[in-house]
Amino acid sequence: MSIFLEKHIVALLAERDDKALSLLYDHYGKTLYGVACKIVRDEALAQDVLQESFIKIWKNADSYDASKAKLFTWLLRITRNTAIDKLRSANKKADKEIQIDISDVHTIGVDSMRPEHLDVQENLEKIEPKYGTVLEALFFQGMTQQEASEALNIPLGTIKSRLKIGLRELKKLYASTLTPLLLLIVVVL
Amino acid sequence: MKENVKLFLDSDVLERYLTGETSQEETLRAERYITLYREVREVYDMLQDNLEAFAKMYARKTPEGFKAILLNSVKKEKATRRKSFRYTIAASVALMIFASSSYFFWDQHKNLQQDSTQVTRKIAYLEEHMKDQLEEMRNQFIVFNNPNTKTYTVQGENAGKELKAIAYINPVKKLSYINVSNVPSLPENQCFQMWAEVNGELVNLGTIKQRGDKDKLLALPYADNAVGYITVEPECGNTSPSFNNIVANINY
Repeated sequence: MSIFLEKHIVALLAERDDKALSLLYDHYGKTLYGVACKIVRDEALAQDVLQESFIKIWKNADSYDASKAKLFTWLLRITRNTAIDKLRSANKKADKEIQIDISDVHTIGVDSMRPEHLDVQENLEKIEPKYGTVLEALFFQGMTQQEASEALNIPLGTIKSRLKIGLRELKKLYASTLTPLLLLIVVVL
Repeated sequence: MKENVKLFLDSDVLERYLTGETSQEETLRAERYITLYREVREVYDMLQDNLEAFAKMYARKTPEGFKAILLNSVKKEKATRRKSFRYTIAASVALMIFASSSYFFWDQHKNLQQDSTQVTRKIAYLEEHMKDQLEEMRNQFIVFNNPNTKTYTVQGENAGKELKAIAYINPVKKLSYINVSNVPSLPENQCFQMWAEVNGELVNLGTIKQRGDKDKLLALPYADNAVGYITVEPECGNTSPSFNNIVANINY
């Protein structure tokens, strides 16, 4: 996303212009929807998450401060938190329904657990699995560092260091996409 | 790199701040470091880019027509908010009207209550006054119509030579009255004052205004072998009679 476009969207949001949401959807919709799907593991639920997130974005547009975070970071925080809340309430509801009627078990999007895009798998392979696992647990499963430590059976200190290194490792993802592009530009010139 | 910056970067505060999982204190700390130290800002920007790249890996095509549904739902929410905002204003105005009218009625009620208390007091006073007046009239009627009533003419002496009064004493009903029929003029700073000696004690019966009290019937406290005096006293009356200034004696 170009800085210019980001600034343009932020300005439209501040002016409460409807175009802002349309542009947000066009430029971030897929990523935010993907994140929501990854967290809630259910497409219908993920659509609810995206809808709620956009409403929150619209309502809280005034609270966005460009000096504190890039637009995408702010959008991701809202979507991620909405998804985690949704997942928790869905799990609670499912637990209740299991208690009422054992036959009424909700299987939350088992089929959507598999990655749909080969790109994801490809990209994930660029990151060492030990970092990928920690990042996924922390970002997409709504776990705290303590919870991730218990769930993955990894000491808390290791979780912290893997998060730190993992986040820095992620640079490889876009660095690798930039290298062929740069080579192409050099060849053309 | 400064030691504190290194320590901050070594901690996981920045990573947690990135995803909004810091406490309020940690958030303020992170924001302070990001603002103050270029190295921290650079790392933070890098982490933001990395997170975006990580998230983009999971990008997924949204369902057909979902954009219209989503934008429509935001529009609906906006309309609801606008409506509720209007309702809030209407409710606030209604509340203000209610509050001010309540205050107005409360104030009116309070004033009326005060007026009502005053009127009740006045009625009670008038009732009491009327009772006294009626009692007085009844006593005067008894005195004047009773054959046992004795009449004494009082003639002034010394400075009150011209003073004339008639005392009415009824020993049966134990009532006595005096009618000062002529009050001589005195210097401006003097007045006549009446006294009665009842059971060995002097009772102040008040001053006689030179013109107003003429022909006015004044009650005297009754006692067997009582003595009444009229003295000349300073203008506002005296607390004890000046025996040198006695102008009339009434024995009844």
